[in-house]
Amino acid sequence: MYGTSQFDGNAAFSGGGFMPSQATQTADPAFSPAKNRDAQALLPLTVKQISEAFQASDDKANFLIDGVDVNNVKLVGMLFEKTERVTDVSFVLDDGTGRIDCHRWVNEAVDTKEMELLSNGMYVKVHGHLKGFQGKKQLMVYSVRPLTDYNEIANHFADCMYAHCYNTRIRKLQDASQTPGHMPNSAVNTPSKGYQPTPSNHFSVQYNMDGVKGIDKSVLGYLQQPSCIAREKGVHRNELAQQLNVPENKILEAIESLESEGLIYSTIDEYHYKSTANG
Amino acid sequence: MDTSNPAVFVNAELLRMHVGRRVRAVIQVLRSDGGGSVIGKSTDEQQLVVKGHPSGPLSTFVEVIGIADSNQSIQAEIWTNFGDALDTACYNNVCQLANGDFKHLFI
Repeated sequence: MYGTSQFDGNAAFSGGGFMPSQATQTADPAFSPAKNRDAQALLPLTVKQISEAFQASDDKANFLIDGVDVNNVKLVGMLFEKTERVTDVSFVLDDGTGRIDCHRWVNEAVDTKEMELLSNGMYVKVHGHLKGFQGKKQLMVYSVRPLTDYNEIANHFADCMYAHCYNTRIRKLQDASQTPGHMPNSAVNTPSKGYQPTPSNHFSVQYNMDGVKGIDKSVLGYLQQPSCIAREKGVHRNELAQQLNVPENKILEAIESLESEGLIYSTIDEYHYKSTANG
Repeated sequence: MDTSNPAVFVNAELLRMHVGRRVRAVIQVLRSDGGGSVIGKSTDEQQLVVKGHPSGPLSTFVEVIGIADSNQSIQAEIWTNFGDALDTACYNNVCQLANGDFKHLFI
């Protein structure tokens, strides 16, 4: 009696326990560290830009625009040729610069409802994943929403130009100074300060100083001096206290807050610090 | 993918550069002359004639997509009501940028 119930329990447990863990494991590669968050950001684009996108390899999801990996994109345009099938809805999006084929999988009632609202000739905002399929580029769309405020059209194209400027400028600076990291994304709601990691040292210095006050500011200013940036080990806490003539506990507070803002980092030990503005 | 037939963002000033081609413009509707054309104000505050028959009543601001007929007129194919409130200055700036430094992103 006892043995049987234990056996049953084990069977149920091993089955139940095993399945989810297997599911997590198979999902893992999609979240590998190689795919950083920058690469997955939503990039505002025109169809013209997509048509000129450079396919970096045979990998079907590997496009480059302005030197930046393109995965998720945002487009605004008119919907045409909507065709409903059992498992998906396909349509053509015309944003005035060109036309692109789009597909939307319809898995759940929510998807069906969202697609039912749409008719040909409507202005929509589309979020999707750019994919190459049989040599053609197409969008696997995961959100299609009708525009309610037509200012979004001008706004979207302004956004495209901004993101283009941003990424091309970054690339030029990168080529010049080998500064790592790019910011492919330009979300509409991101305030301009969201673009702080400008690789130009001058800019980042100026930007980073915004909102940094008092002792924090003098500590950061000290660490951002070219001579300090050049030092491999960074600057010792005591040196900061002496040079700035500030008590050590105040220096500690400043270091803590600057470190949490990501403006400085500890180097060989917790006594030595460097500015994140690299030299 | 097809980028062979774009519709360029235009205001009245830029319209003359695209005569014979497909354009899109936003106008503030002033009046309809009843004979198949609508008189409107472009985003750079000049008068434009839009020929064609809209399928329904027009809102204050309307976007037309069609062929640039002349310096001041568009033969409209698609009319879209943009409502009664629109930032025309912003739209006008986008027109200028889309024909200027950023032309390569559009046409």
